[in-house]
Amino acid sequence: MEILANLATGFAAAATPTNLAFCLLGCVVGTLVGVLPGIGPITTIAMLLPLTFGLPPLTSLIMLAGIYYGAQYGGSISAILVNLPGETSSVITCIDGYRMAQNGRAGSALAIAAIGSFFAGTVSTVFIAGFAPALGAFSEQFRAPEYFSLMLFGLVSAVVLAHGSILKAVAMVLLGLLFGLVGTDVTSGTARMAFGIPTLMDGIDFVPLAMGVFGLAEILTKLERPPETRDLVAARISSLWPSREEFRRAMPAIVRGTAVGSVLGILPGGGAVLAAFAAYTVEKKVSRTPSRFGKGAIEGVAAPESANNAGAQTSFIPLMTLGLPSTPVMALMMAAMVIHGIAPGTAVITAQPVLFWGMVASLWIGNLMLLVINLPMVGVWVRLLKVPYRILFPCILLFCCIGVYSVTNNSVAVLLTAIFAVLGYVFAKLGCEAAPLLLGFVLGPLMEENLRRAMLLSSGDPGVFIYRPISAVLIGMTAVMLLLIVLPQFRKTREEAFQE
Amino acid sequence: MIKVRSPQDLWAGVLFIAFGIAGLWLNRHYPIGSASRMGPGYLPMALSLGLVIIGAMVAARGLILQGPPIERAHWRPLVFVLGSMLAFYALIELVGLAITTVLATALAALATREPIRPLELALLSLGMAAFSIGLFVYLLKQPVPIWWFG
Repeated sequence: MEILANLATGFAAAATPTNLAFCLLGCVVGTLVGVLPGIGPITTIAMLLPLTFGLPPLTSLIMLAGIYYGAQYGGSISAILVNLPGETSSVITCIDGYRMAQNGRAGSALAIAAIGSFFAGTVSTVFIAGFAPALGAFSEQFRAPEYFSLMLFGLVSAVVLAHGSILKAVAMVLLGLLFGLVGTDVTSGTARMAFGIPTLMDGIDFVPLAMGVFGLAEILTKLERPPETRDLVAARISSLWPSREEFRRAMPAIVRGTAVGSVLGILPGGGAVLAAFAAYTVEKKVSRTPSRFGKGAIEGVAAPESANNAGAQTSFIPLMTLGLPSTPVMALMMAAMVIHGIAPGTAVITAQPVLFWGMVASLWIGNLMLLVINLPMVGVWVRLLKVPYRILFPCILLFCCIGVYSVTNNSVAVLLTAIFAVLGYVFAKLGCEAAPLLLGFVLGPLMEENLRRAMLLSSGDPGVFIYRPISAVLIGMTAVMLLLIVLPQFRKTREEAFQE
Repeated sequence: MIKVRSPQDLWAGVLFIAFGIAGLWLNRHYPIGSASRMGPGYLPMALSLGLVIIGAMVAARGLILQGPPIERAHWRPLVFVLGSMLAFYALIELVGLAITTVLATALAALATREPIRPLELALLSLGMAAFSIGLFVYLLKQPVPIWWFG
């Protein structure tokens, strides 16, 4: 019963008044961000990084994590009530959620989404507690070749599981890796691709890149579209309680959604978005009456909402145990950990058990808080949705600028952010997903270091990646991933899954 | 006559090739080393080469497979959003957070096609300045100067 003892340590660490307060703050900010379209968890976490500088590491991680899963709750509110996905992971909830609202079942859709998310949050917390230490212990056998193979597998599956063209995603990964290598090379001390600019000598800063390519590029593309019509008429909430029939239909969907989400969340490139899409597809497949989907089927709300929350939580597993960020948000969490002097990876669980278990415990506490605060506060969130985008985006823009400036204490970083914003805008125009770029960027220096070390140890023999058993398995999995792309059957399913 | 079937793919490919060539050019002086002792140029060169190859494949696909057109770019959001950021960059260390925020917010607010009333604009930028000073300087104690002195 080591897990129980560990969890007890975790709850003791997470339940201090300060940590509870910041957990609540993170959840509320996360919900806010989730409700408002046009600002996502990536931008927000990047923006709020400076806020955490003065805090202890555990407290800041608790708050930042709260923002991420809080956003999954919040996203469902705008999806159901106004047919606007507040988050990408809620796109799928719009389909049936909004139809339910039009049918006068908004309250029950919201309640099921919240209950499903809470259930998924609880299960995935237990899943992390049980699974992460085992994975962590296993990964202690990892050396340079294993790490390199692992990161290769991570990047390849991120490409395969991403939206859109695979070829473009590969190019984006390569570009990200190249960006990651800008700056002084640790082994030789050579400043690479820095143009003699002092700011670039230490490498491209993560925050300007993430903020420019995601947050600001999103503002630029959003401003080009005509203003959204926000139909708040349907937002009448009669009763928050689902009917018995709705419960009966939703419960199995919640369980299936949680299972799908927990598994997909661990996969690199998976995370919350893919989980929600996959869960919806699964529901449609197992349903005896698939024709009800798209017309307000409660399963179409229950499953994806459970899945996105489960996926959001289990995506912490590769980061906390292997030091491998599987999604852009996790890459940001990694940046936050590094700022606080924690090297994410195998050592976290053994060397900093209080931090790790405190974090796990806070995931559950945060989910409980969200369940309690969200439903009664729906009215407040809906009112926030009435703030027009023309007022909202200058504020987001300025917060990004001030955030970047105060993280780096360097005005050149703001200029760099503007350049990345243009780049992100161009990528959006050309149909290139930015997420693989960010993952490549974070993994670039790590991959180079491990590749060099592995090749040095083997005196230049690339066979080292196949002779070592663990590495060989990882390379084998990478090869399977690559083969999947070639299979026409898989291609078709992948396209269908993203088209819905 | 070559026909562009998927402009998005063609230009994405061209962009990747351009980045790859830039990478090759920028890293041309760094020693590549050998597989067992990689120099600082080894991986950047390999990645840049990869970018050129994949970029060429993406571009070629743009000539073969049918794809969506590139949506027209609008100058207004680009000019004002980037203008606002450049203003922030140029002013923050010169005149401090207060004036910078007012000007940058006002500039940003002009980026939409929706008309914004002068009063609304004034309230928004002044409110934003007050809020960000309160939040970042007083509450979060960030080392950001409020004015040009002090």
